[in-house]
Amino acid sequence: MNRLPVLLAAAMAAIAPAAASEEPWAETTIGQHLVLEEIAREGEAAIDALILKGETLFRAKFTTLDGAGRPMATQAIVPTRRKRPIAETFSRTHGPDANACVACHNDPVAGAAGDFVANVFVSEGFESADFDSLDPQFSNERNSNILQGSGLVELLAREMTADLQTIRAAALKEARASGKAVTRDLSSKGVPFGSITASPDGMVDITRLDGVDTDLVVRPFSQKGVFTSLRQFTINALNVHHGIQATERFGARWTGTPDFDEDGHVDEVSDGDISALVAWQATLPVPTRRTDLPDVWKAAAARGEALFAETGCASCHRPALPLESLKFTDPGPFDAAGTLKLADVEQPIVIDFVRFAWVKALPRDEQGRVLVPLFGDLKRHQIADQRNERLGNELMAQRFVARDVFMTAELWGIGSSAPYGHRGDITTLDEVIRAHAGEATDVRKAYETLPEADRKAIIAFLKTLVIEETE
Amino acid sequence: MARLPVLSAALLATLVALPARAEDQPPRKPTGDVPILHEEHAAAGLIQTYDGPWEFFVGGGVAAFDCDQDMKPEALVAGGKNPLKLFLNRSIVGGPLAFEETSLGLDEKDLVNVLGAYPLDIDNDGFTDVALVKLGRNLLLKGGPGCSFAVADKTWSFDGGRAWSTAFAATWEKGERYPTLAFGNYVDRAQPGSPWGTCHDNDLYRPVAGDRPRYAERQALTPGYCALSLLFTDWNRSGEPSLRVTNDRQYYRGGEEQLWKVPAGKPPALYDRGDGWQRLTIWGMGISQFDLNVDGAPEYALSSMGDTKIQMLDEEAAEDTPIYKDIAFERGATAHRPYTGSDLRPSTGWHTEFADFNNDAAIDLFIAKGNVEAMPDFANFDPSNLLLGRFDGSFAEAGAEAGIATGTKGRGAAVVDFNLDGMLDLLQVNRGGPATLFRNLGVASGARHGPMGNFLGIRLVQKDANVWGVGSRIAVKTGTRTMPRDVLVGGGHASGHLGWTHVGLGTAERAEIRVQWPDGEWSHPYRVFANQYVLIERGQAAAKYWYPSD
Repeated sequence: MNRLPVLLAAAMAAIAPAAASEEPWAETTIGQHLVLEEIAREGEAAIDALILKGETLFRAKFTTLDGAGRPMATQAIVPTRRKRPIAETFSRTHGPDANACVACHNDPVAGAAGDFVANVFVSEGFESADFDSLDPQFSNERNSNILQGSGLVELLAREMTADLQTIRAAALKEARASGKAVTRDLSSKGVPFGSITASPDGMVDITRLDGVDTDLVVRPFSQKGVFTSLRQFTINALNVHHGIQATERFGARWTGTPDFDEDGHVDEVSDGDISALVAWQATLPVPTRRTDLPDVWKAAAARGEALFAETGCASCHRPALPLESLKFTDPGPFDAAGTLKLADVEQPIVIDFVRFAWVKALPRDEQGRVLVPLFGDLKRHQIADQRNERLGNELMAQRFVARDVFMTAELWGIGSSAPYGHRGDITTLDEVIRAHAGEATDVRKAYETLPEADRKAIIAFLKTLVIEETE
Repeated sequence: MARLPVLSAALLATLVALPARAEDQPPRKPTGDVPILHEEHAAAGLIQTYDGPWEFFVGGGVAAFDCDQDMKPEALVAGGKNPLKLFLNRSIVGGPLAFEETSLGLDEKDLVNVLGAYPLDIDNDGFTDVALVKLGRNLLLKGGPGCSFAVADKTWSFDGGRAWSTAFAATWEKGERYPTLAFGNYVDRAQPGSPWGTCHDNDLYRPVAGDRPRYAERQALTPGYCALSLLFTDWNRSGEPSLRVTNDRQYYRGGEEQLWKVPAGKPPALYDRGDGWQRLTIWGMGISQFDLNVDGAPEYALSSMGDTKIQMLDEEAAEDTPIYKDIAFERGATAHRPYTGSDLRPSTGWHTEFADFNNDAAIDLFIAKGNVEAMPDFANFDPSNLLLGRFDGSFAEAGAEAGIATGTKGRGAAVVDFNLDGMLDLLQVNRGGPATLFRNLGVASGARHGPMGNFLGIRLVQKDANVWGVGSRIAVKTGTRTMPRDVLVGGGHASGHLGWTHVGLGTAERAEIRVQWPDGEWSHPYRVFANQYVLIERGQAAAKYWYPSD
């Protein structure tokens, strides 16, 4: 790959999609590849250009000249070869299924949600690599999540992971010192995650965890809660949806070839390119609340917010989680090989979120922690059962997470991101609330037994949670 | 192993003859990370030299196992004429290797003349025992708390014999509470005409029924052809391991490689021509097995003088016949002469071990190398091989780049993760010089070293008998790929280890583990995340994770 210093490359990318050596009308979009370590060395001075480059890439309609398409690779997160090449560049089932990131994350602004038409079919791409059916036994159909505020979400998840792993370490230390098994509740930022029992011999019983993976890494991304970081999500999505393969996952180091998908393009996106995409997504402002409301709506929303808490909705859709540090490092600390992690680099890119006015505007608690208003808990819950399968209409488990278990949907921006549900097949908020089952059964029943005016008040409140349309 | 005579020119020509002009081909390059292996035996406090007269030209083993319940492997290193030494592992997780020598509390006579050592739990008490392979009476050491050991030959009715023993393997036969032990023996020096054609029989000890291990009955495995490595192996997926023996053609007459049927409750019997067994004569030094093509039938790396063999069942042969083809050349793993330096004479291979040094999920092959002593027709500077597995299934040499191309005379070795950082380290016993200890630093990244692929450490537990699940097959699955491992006691060259089974996962962040226990029963899949130490107890619904104390 040709490489240029980040600032120059980003500046070029801002004015033209093509590489410097190409004509302005060239049918390439990625441009000069960025180098993570060069960006990191440039520090704060590189951040604006990096974010700009990230937006360019997010909006880019990737072409085969960029390396779009993966004729000999499946959509799997682990490099997996097809048994035979596919002829078509695009396929709505196994992918690639989109020309650009923004093709599905665009409603109401770039980086946000998508209509039902933008749904994707999630298949792990291993055993059914060549599936060509929409039958749900082969794939799960998913609607686009919003990415606004995702940088703060990842920071919250990192702190929660650190908290949980600290509890585990302390339990082990105590068990070893006392010679007795030690059981400890796992909790971070007020969110309970079950318990562990540490034995004096260093073993940990992980059978009573709740809503978190057994390695105690809080994975906040995707509707299933199975991606650790924006970086991991971005690498996965580029391959699944566009056939653009990141060197750090699909390059020669892990596959023996710089052109794993055999489309004639080597090293299709660099570590710095991924960083640009991460930077742009991470720094998308958090959704806000509508303030331009008539008094009747304001009153209803205020009452609805109180009822939202009283009925128990807020037990999972927590209005805010406190965040200690606003320094976002890329790469992050908890990724595994195949996605760059902090230990892989001499120096990470650091984005101090204090630089953003929208972060300064967020409330803080008495300890000075920023209160991130996500209306979520970054925890997975069983959300469907036999009596009500509306939100459990998938047939495939995903990455060890059962078919009826999903990450609590963050409700910030919900007023701007219809349709609802992980399949995007529910048109009203009232319907999606009534679709809750499993662990949410009692809360849903409480909602259903509310007087109609109260239910409407909750809807009124939820519809104030919007994504600002400032484009 | 050749020592006394000079090989004939014709023989040498055979040795170095290869199916094609390999020198015309550019050497294969590794496709994955090259791990940097940093030699630090002196700083680590692991000082041991294997030495002695010609009886110790062979042997030179190490047993790596945990005996102080911190799950970090200790090192019990043979010394030949020098006393056996036990080094307690004091390494901090991810840090420099550190060992502390401790007394074994045994008589001096028991500590000397040790050629090799293999750890196993003979009496199922949770404390690892050790089989010492000796010149003279072999010893079974019963392990106890705090790395204490006692000679248990009398307790377990074991007559260690008087042979020049060079190899060991163990298996739990069907229904048995205690293991069957096999000792491989070398030249019978008491026979007229020794050493030529006077190979000693090998020994098989089956446990006598009872509530404690008793090995009162020795069965001779006749003929013996100067064995240098033994391995119980289920070569045909029958569920009943056979005994593979690699023999040194230097001393036998009319001998060959051997495979013994060991049917439960019946006398062992050799596979012969009628069974399809084909004559192969090599200077067999070490056996390592790995199921390269994941068909359930293991392949075998056999070290020798000259080229290493990798044997794969010939798919054109009749089913259930032990007919093998040699795939070492096509896989780039002949390792027949030094890969660096100016010495073009043939290599001398000893310990072999398949392992994933760089955690890229492609299996690698380590071969300890070293001249027998001063054999003029074989390379004097003979560096050990680190053949890194490539993604196309072949191997590429990386010993020089990794840092193990030293001028030692390698013999036995242990490829284990001493500091529990998820990356395999290497302890190599050397004849006539200090054992070398290489810490795996990871991949070079500018001026620093970075992590490599993801990994798992897996330990199996059975209750009551065969607590380590020896004979189990572990299948680790990520996506469409299955990475097999076998839990075995035996093979290599005079060396064995017991502890975490290491599996490199490459870019996979989670995996499913299934275990085929020694009696053939398959477990359900255990779903685990990468970069964990995982304990799987037979019959339990979920795996447990283990974490070190530092």
